[in-house]
Amino acid sequence: MKKLYSLIRACMTSDMNIFKINQKKTNKKSGIVLILFISLCFMMCTWTYANMFFEKMAPMHLQSIVLSLFVFMISILTIGEGIYKTGPLLFNCKDDQLLLSLPIKKSTVLFIRIFKFYVFELAFNSLLLIPLAISYLRWADSISWTFYLSTIIMIFILPIIPIVLSCIIGTITTALASRFKLKNLAQIIATTLVLLCIFYISMNMDNFLNNLAKHATSINDLITKIYYPAGVYARLATDFNVVDLLVFVGINILIYVITILILSKFYFKINSRLKKVTSTKKTNIDKLTIKRNSPTKSLIKKELTTFFKTPVFIVNAGFGLVLFIAAAILISIKFDSVISVLTDPETFALEKDIIINNISLIVFLLIAMAGFMTSITNSVISLEGKNISILKSLPLKAKTILMSKIYSGLVITTPPILVGDIILFVRFRMSILEMFLLLLLSILIPLTSHFIGIIVNLKYPKLDWENQAEVVKQSTSSFVAVMIGMVLLVLSAFLAFKFISIVPAIIILSIFTLVFILLDTILYLYLTKKSVKEFDSLSV
Amino acid sequence: MIEIKNVTKKYGEKKAVDNVSFTVNDGDIFAFIGHNGAGKTTLIKSIVGIHDFDEGDILIDGMSIKDKPVECKKLMAYVPDNPETYEHMKAIDYINFICDMYETPTEVREENIKKYAKLFEIDDKLNDTIDSYSHGMKQKIVLISALSHDPKILIMDEPFVGLDPKAVFDIKEVLNEMTKEGKIVFYSTHILDVAEKLCSRVAIIKQGKLVKSGSMKEIKGDKSLEKVFMELEG
Repeated sequence: MKKLYSLIRACMTSDMNIFKINQKKTNKKSGIVLILFISLCFMMCTWTYANMFFEKMAPMHLQSIVLSLFVFMISILTIGEGIYKTGPLLFNCKDDQLLLSLPIKKSTVLFIRIFKFYVFELAFNSLLLIPLAISYLRWADSISWTFYLSTIIMIFILPIIPIVLSCIIGTITTALASRFKLKNLAQIIATTLVLLCIFYISMNMDNFLNNLAKHATSINDLITKIYYPAGVYARLATDFNVVDLLVFVGINILIYVITILILSKFYFKINSRLKKVTSTKKTNIDKLTIKRNSPTKSLIKKELTTFFKTPVFIVNAGFGLVLFIAAAILISIKFDSVISVLTDPETFALEKDIIINNISLIVFLLIAMAGFMTSITNSVISLEGKNISILKSLPLKAKTILMSKIYSGLVITTPPILVGDIILFVRFRMSILEMFLLLLLSILIPLTSHFIGIIVNLKYPKLDWENQAEVVKQSTSSFVAVMIGMVLLVLSAFLAFKFISIVPAIIILSIFTLVFILLDTILYLYLTKKSVKEFDSLSV
Repeated sequence: MIEIKNVTKKYGEKKAVDNVSFTVNDGDIFAFIGHNGAGKTTLIKSIVGIHDFDEGDILIDGMSIKDKPVECKKLMAYVPDNPETYEHMKAIDYINFICDMYETPTEVREENIKKYAKLFEIDDKLNDTIDSYSHGMKQKIVLISALSHDPKILIMDEPFVGLDPKAVFDIKEVLNEMTKEGKIVFYSTHILDVAEKLCSRVAIIKQGKLVKSGSMKEIKGDKSLEKVFMELEG
């Protein structure tokens, strides 16, 4: 047991450093404040969502169904998140050789890997479950002390089944992918589809809620039959039974242990199969093309290779782009639904004519969504890891290196956004000037996002990571950059809808274009004056 | 020429390099010796511009690395103690990438890549991604990429670790050739008998301070370098 404790402590110490900012105390404090702030924002969103659901269900005294539904949705989210984290968290880890050479059981190594995964998901689940429970307190018909006990136990137990499922699915896909050449592509497509489904449900929330209210009890029955823990929480909240609680805890622990024992039979075989070896095919050096490129072009090429060889990076950063094209197609086909949402007195309460005459503003908001949701650069410095020494030893100015990362971001974001633009330009009638401004904004907004990403990443770099998911998904830098993007998106949407009825779209678009030119100029100056110094002071 | 002038590098309150001064002349093979944690890597990283330093200056052919980092780095190539590369890249692409950064003319890089890849017997594997390589193969790729842009100054941190005996022999030949052309080779090592045979000059660092520096003959006298080192360490 002492050995296991030491191992967990050693492994978790390096992983828990995801929020380690740097040696300066002031930055450390501001980092903690920032993380707390972001967590609070996230909890506020969940709380608002939960209230929307409870509001519909409370009149029918069906609040417990919301608990089941949320537990189900949280678990689906955890599975979705976990599937593509399984690869980097479980396989080909940097400490593989160290752990496997120690006199410990192989199942212990796997236990530690999954335990690390559990801790991250525990934090993630808490951000969702705590606001749900707080919201329930407001809407519940009656509350007993057992609800608090059930909630605390639920927070700790709920992540187990989802992580076990994502480990199993992730291991199977990794095992299959290890046999194929296009493993990254398969992984990316599958993950994107899951995320698109989640987004689709979110977009159709109103219909979803109305349907839910109509068929609440049957949906609840279905969910609880499909996913046992979803019903348990609701049952414990309304009709507490200690046997139910003990059975629930027991089942989860048993599942965890059995999974580790079974997976450990295959895990090491898969892991060793993932190790690459040189090809048997010999290269004729005289036939190799040795082509010269400018330093900037070569740096961009290197950045693009990194991006396309890192699935977790593609899915995380590229989701906004896929969503933009999907949204462009969806809006082109089902524009009436968009109009009904925007004219709904409970939402935006806009007049139909105003929307049709100012369609370019809707396109602008879609571009803003794609741009701000695609924060490619928020982990590009951290992803360099120990290779930062290579860059720093090269005869290049820090500005050249940083700008090459910005250019590569643009190379990735511009083509998909242009595809979406073209779809929307073909479907909706807009003036040449509007189209020109929208095309300009299609570059300016992602540029803002890329500048913010790098600036933030240089403020909160993490170069000593164990796996890429740590920096792409779980770092302070990615949290902060995404949140800044979200704030800018909400602000843009607020201003656009505020003035849509009183100022012509072309004027609003022109003002936004000027604002983003100004913002990009300020960010460029900041990057070239301040951020370069931060880059120069980086060390591993 | 490399001139290290009263360089001090601190980590917090601790001085990793403490007021170190010495000169490396054109045509020197210079061995930089010290026990683990003595400050060798810190000083090397300061010379190549990876780390900044708190006091003093480092001049590369008369230019300060602080004031003209790009110009200084253009003259140098750096081989780190661990073969750090972009592992997802093909070896040939990585070498080409480094050459692009130094703006090496196509003919020069083509000739050098072929020459060194054949010498290190890795020419038939250049089209593989680096993550499929062994430690020694990665080290060879780092060496080839450093040599391919024809640097005037080669700075290496423990270059022989992980290399097979033939590669060690070959690299020694390459270093000798370079110094005949008036180039500088500056490297840290723990393999004292190789340093003794190969190097014209040596510096010994202990707890961040330079304890001896000079020509190999001056430093070791009639003794072996190992003996001198052990006496200084004792």
